[in-house]
Amino acid sequence: MNQEETEELNGEAEAETAALADAAQLKQALAEAQEKAEANLAGWQRAQADFVNYKRRAEREMKESREYAIGALVLNLLPVLDDFERALAAIPEEEAQMSWMEGIQAIERKLRATLEAQGVAQIKAVGEPFDPHVHEAVMQAPGEEGMVVEEVEKGYQLNDRVIRPAKVVVGRGDEE
Amino acid sequence: MGKVIGIDLGTTFSCVAVMEGGEPKVIPNAEGGRTTPSVVAMSKSGERLAGQVARRQAITNPDNTIFSIKRLMGRKFDEPSVEYDKKLLPFKITKAPNGDAKVAMGDKEYSPAEISAMILQKLKTDAEAYLGEKVTEAVITVPAYFNDSQRQATKDAGKIAGLEVLRIINEPTAASLAYGLDKKEEETIAVYDLGGGTFDISILELGEGTFQVKSTNGDTHLGGDDFDQRVMDWLCNEFKREQGIDLRQDKMALQRLKEAAEKAKCELSTVQQTEVNLPFITADASGPKHLSIMLTKAKLEQLVMDLVEKTIGPCKQALDDAEKTVSQIDEVVLVGGQTRMPLVQEKVKQFFGKEAHKGVNPDEVVAVGAAIQAGVLKGEVKDVLLLDVTPLTLGIETLGAVATPLIPRNTTIPTSKSQIFSTAADNQPSVEIHVLQGERPMAADNRTLGRFMLDGILPAPRGMPQIEVTFDIDANGILNVKAHDKGTGREQKITITASSGLSKEEVARMQREAEAHASEDTQRREEIEAKNSADTLAYTAEKTLREHKDKIPAELNQEVEGKIAAVRSALQGSDVAAIRQATQELNEAMQKIGAAIYQQQPPPPPPGGEAPPPEGEPPPEKGEDEGTVEGEFREV
Repeated sequence: MNQEETEELNGEAEAETAALADAAQLKQALAEAQEKAEANLAGWQRAQADFVNYKRRAEREMKESREYAIGALVLNLLPVLDDFERALAAIPEEEAQMSWMEGIQAIERKLRATLEAQGVAQIKAVGEPFDPHVHEAVMQAPGEEGMVVEEVEKGYQLNDRVIRPAKVVVGRGDEE
Repeated sequence: MGKVIGIDLGTTFSCVAVMEGGEPKVIPNAEGGRTTPSVVAMSKSGERLAGQVARRQAITNPDNTIFSIKRLMGRKFDEPSVEYDKKLLPFKITKAPNGDAKVAMGDKEYSPAEISAMILQKLKTDAEAYLGEKVTEAVITVPAYFNDSQRQATKDAGKIAGLEVLRIINEPTAASLAYGLDKKEEETIAVYDLGGGTFDISILELGEGTFQVKSTNGDTHLGGDDFDQRVMDWLCNEFKREQGIDLRQDKMALQRLKEAAEKAKCELSTVQQTEVNLPFITADASGPKHLSIMLTKAKLEQLVMDLVEKTIGPCKQALDDAEKTVSQIDEVVLVGGQTRMPLVQEKVKQFFGKEAHKGVNPDEVVAVGAAIQAGVLKGEVKDVLLLDVTPLTLGIETLGAVATPLIPRNTTIPTSKSQIFSTAADNQPSVEIHVLQGERPMAADNRTLGRFMLDGILPAPRGMPQIEVTFDIDANGILNVKAHDKGTGREQKITITASSGLSKEEVARMQREAEAHASEDTQRREEIEAKNSADTLAYTAEKTLREHKDKIPAELNQEVEGKIAAVRSALQGSDVAAIRQATQELNEAMQKIGAAIYQQQPPPPPPGGEAPPPEGEPPPEKGEDEGTVEGEFREV
C-alpha cells in the first residue's frame, strides 16, 4: 500500500464520518421536531376538547340559569312569606272574622299563587319520613322514629331543585 | 388525557377547582353550592352520605355523622390534641392496633383517611359530572403545619377515593399562587387565614419560584362562628332588655336568630347599618312579640374587636419565629370568609403596614391555587400558550373614506374573519383594499398597514360583484389580507408582519385619541352615512326611471328627475340636514313610481329578463356604459 492510497482512504473515512455526523444531527433535529409536533398536537387537541366541553356546558348553564334565574330572588322572598304565615297563624280570635283580616289573607294567597306560577313548590314535611335531600333536621323530639314530627320552617323547591330545605323536627322513637 | 383538579380539603368546608382555557374555575357541587361541607354520615338505613346532605341529617344521627375529620388526620389516639377533640366531637373516636386514631360510623371503624376519601369521592363525582369526563388526578392542599404522617394520610385519602395525588401543597402556598405571587422575585409573604372555625397565619419565603414555609401560628378555635355568636348574644340581650323575654330559652326562636345574626354580619361588610327584623319571634300572654333591632357597623365592630385583636398575637409570634420584622413582609394575602369584614382588613393593614391582596373569593382562593398548581404540573399553564389579543381594531376603507372594522380590538388571536364587499360604481374594474388599524371611524385618522389592488372585475352594475375580503391573524400576530372576486376567482393578497405594527406607546396614544375624538367622529360618520345612502337612492332612482320609462307617467317622471337633481346638488355641499331632507323627498316620490308600476303590472308570471345573474357567472355587459369611475370611490 503506497502513501497516496492511504491518504485517499483516510479522506474517504473522513467524508464518511462527516456524513454520519450529519445524519446524526438530522436525526436529532427530526426527533426534536417530532417531539415538538406531538406536544403541539396534544396542546391543540386539549384546547379543542376544552372548547367543545366548555361550549356544551355553557349551553347547559344557559338553560339552567334561565330556569333558575329567579331562584336567588325567590330565596330572599321566602322569609317574607314565612313572616306572613306567622302573622296569619297568630290572628287574635276576636279579629279573625273582620273583613279587613280577610283582605290580608287574600294578599297572602296571592303572593303564594304568584310564586307557584313561577314553579315554586312547597316541600312536604310533617308525616313524611325524614329525607336529608329535602329536609334539614334542627331538633329531635318524641315521636315515630325517623319521621318528621314538626316543621319549623317550610322548605321550597323551584322546578325540582331544592332552593331551601324544610327545617324539621325528627321523631326520636320514644313516645311522649 | 384527563384533567387534574385542585382540592381544598378543609376542616368544615371543601372546595374544588380546575384549570379551563388557562383560567382557574371553581366547580359547583351537585346541589349547586361552590363549597361542600366536609361531613360524612352513615344513615340508619345504611346509606352513605357526604356533603350538604350529611350535614342536614347530623342532628338526627350524631353517632354516625363525622365532621372535622381533618383534626384527626394522621394523628395518634393518645396525642393531646386528640384528647382535646374527643371532648368536642360527638362521634366515637377509637384506637387502632398501631395507635392511630380511628372513628366509628355505623357498625364499622374507619381511619380518618377513609372518611376524608368519602368527601374526596363526592368532590370527584361532582367534578366529573360538571366536566363531563373522568377525573383521576388531583392536587390537594394541607395546612402548612401538617407533619409527614398527616400529609401521607391525606395522600392515602386521595388514593382510596380513586385519585392519584400528584402533589400535596400547603394552603398558604396555594393562596399565594392564586394571586400569581410565584412570578415575583425573592419575597416574604404573610398569609392570614381566618375561616369559620380556625385562624392560621403563615410566613412564607419565595425564592426562584418555590415557596418555603418559615413559620406558622394561629388559634385552632377562633373563627367566623365566634363572630356570629357575639352578634346573637347581643341581639338576645337587647331583646330581653326591651321585651323582658329571654330568647335563649326558645329553640325555635334561636334558630331564626342564628341565621339572622350571620346575615346581618355579612351585610355590614358593605353597608353602614342593617335592621334585624324578625316579626312574630315569640309570644307571651300579652300577644305576639317582634324583634326589630338596628345593628350598625360600628356596634358590630365593637362587639368583635377583641376577637380580631386576638389574631395579632399569633401574627407577632409567627414573625418572631421566622426571624422577620414587619417591614420585611412584601405581600399579605387574605384567606377565609371572615377576612371579608372591613375591620379585619383594617387591622391586618395596620399590623403589616400594607394593603393585603384581595379580589379572589377568600373561600375559594386555596382551591383556585391548587388548580393552578395542577395546571402547571399538567403543562397547561405555559407562558407560550398564553393567548395574545389584537390591541387595535383592524379593517378596510370603504365608500366615503369610512374605516369598516373586520376584527375588533381585544379579539384573541389566532383568528380570521371574512366579509363580502362590492363595487361603488357601475362597471368598476378594480377595487383598492386599504388595510387600516385603529379605533377612529374615518380611514384617514387611522394607521395604514398596507394597500393593494384587485383588478379584472368584470363590468357589472355597482353592488353586484362579490368581493370577499379575508383577514387572518396567526398566533405570531402576522396579518394576511386576501381579496377574492367570487365572480372571476381572481385573488390578491398582502402579508403584514408583526414588525410593521405599533409599539405599546403608539397603541395607547391611538386609543386615547379615539376616545378624545369620539363625538366629532360620530358626527362625521353620520354625515358620510347620510351621503352614502343619498347617493345610493339617487342611483337606484335613475336606474328605475331608465328601466321603466314606458310605465311611468311623464309628470311623475319629471317630478322624480327633479328630486334626483335636488339630491345630487345637496350632495355637493355638506349640510347633512339638507341631504337627509332631499333623500326623504326622493324616497317619497319613488314610492309613487312603485305604486304606478304595480298598478299596470299584469298578473304573474313576472318577467324573467331582469333577474340578476347567478353567482359565479359574469354579469351581462350592458350597452349603456357610463364609464368607470375608478378612483372616485376607493373601495369595494
